[in-house]
Amino acid sequence: MKDADIDADETDRLLLQRMVAGDRAALATLYRSYHGRLCRFLSRLTRRADLIEEVINDCFWIVWQKAGSFKGESRVSTWIIGIAYRCGLKALRQRGDEPVDDEGMPEDRMPSHDPGEDRELRDWLSKGMERLSADQRVVVELVYGVGHTLDDVAAIMQCPVGTVKARLFHARVKLRNVLPALAGDQLTQKESVP
Amino acid sequence: MKLTKDTDRDCSRAWEAMPWVLQDSAPPEQSAWLTEHLAQCEACREEFAQQSQLRLALALPTDVQLDPEVGLKRLLSRIDDEAQTTTAHVRSGTWFTRALVAAVLVQALGIGVLGVKLWSEDAVQPYRTLSQPSPMAMPGAIHVVPDANMKLADWDSLLHSLQLQVVGGPNDVGAYTVVPEHATATQDTLQQLRAMHGIRLAEPATASP
Repeated sequence: MKDADIDADETDRLLLQRMVAGDRAALATLYRSYHGRLCRFLSRLTRRADLIEEVINDCFWIVWQKAGSFKGESRVSTWIIGIAYRCGLKALRQRGDEPVDDEGMPEDRMPSHDPGEDRELRDWLSKGMERLSADQRVVVELVYGVGHTLDDVAAIMQCPVGTVKARLFHARVKLRNVLPALAGDQLTQKESVP
Repeated sequence: MKLTKDTDRDCSRAWEAMPWVLQDSAPPEQSAWLTEHLAQCEACREEFAQQSQLRLALALPTDVQLDPEVGLKRLLSRIDDEAQTTTAHVRSGTWFTRALVAAVLVQALGIGVLGVKLWSEDAVQPYRTLSQPSPMAMPGAIHVVPDANMKLADWDSLLHSLQLQVVGGPNDVGAYTVVPEHATATQDTLQQLRAMHGIRLAEPATASP
């Protein structure tokens, strides 16, 4: 774990302790701190903004109630994202998984400043991710997007590390097969080898 | 890297290492080895470039834009609502608990009253249960046959003076079964009875015929 991660985890633990005592300001701080990354993470499960908001609130509702039962066996972020993942799956089971296409999104939900290159990259990713199962999308997001280890992902998804490895492997194979074609010449030319 | 080259051990190793090198969480020697391998392997270079692109794309802010303040406000309202509901439950729970305690107290009082009543009835049983010893088997029991002419007052006086209690009789031959209040005094009582005027027979009830 990097020093920055250790510091962030220490801060999160302190906030959790304050929440156990009923400190709502601590809850608000933690909520704002995680809102963006949960929003992005859950957008790999569903594109429905209303569902994402509902899941984030369900997640923090549980965090508020269970703050005292956090045993510290993992990072706070692993714990919270795990709760969000399970809330997300539950919401999808109850309300159905109907990803919203970009074309169907209201204008106010689209970022106001989206440089062309970013939009192109986003579209490329979006089309590639559509080829993956929900679990594969989650693993890709957690490993490449959030930067979790295999052990963290296994804890979040409550499955063996071997299962995470298999999901990651199959996701990478699928993406390798579809992404170059989706990228087209323009994006391929922008690739730079480190 | 192509699937047909999966047997290539180095390429497989490079494939495994890529995500963690990209995350900057791989050990320095693993990162150095991958850099060296990429310099020699075009297929892995392409794969790594695509992985880098993937990571870059995933690092972009999500296109699903939500206002955290709106969500937070809803969450706090939900917590407030739940707190009020919980308080209401606690209040109703207190009322229910009190009612339950009162009911238990009333029951306990009723059982107590019933117990006292049954106990007092036990003291003056108008009957004898099968589990109780028969007068014949009671320790110190004596069969007494008073004279037919003996007056009731004399009989009562005799019983009183010898501290005897009639527990059976009279039977067909006019015999009573009496028990001295102190079982140890049976022999003395027997002697006194035999010596008294108006007593035709006095024999211990447990004696063998």
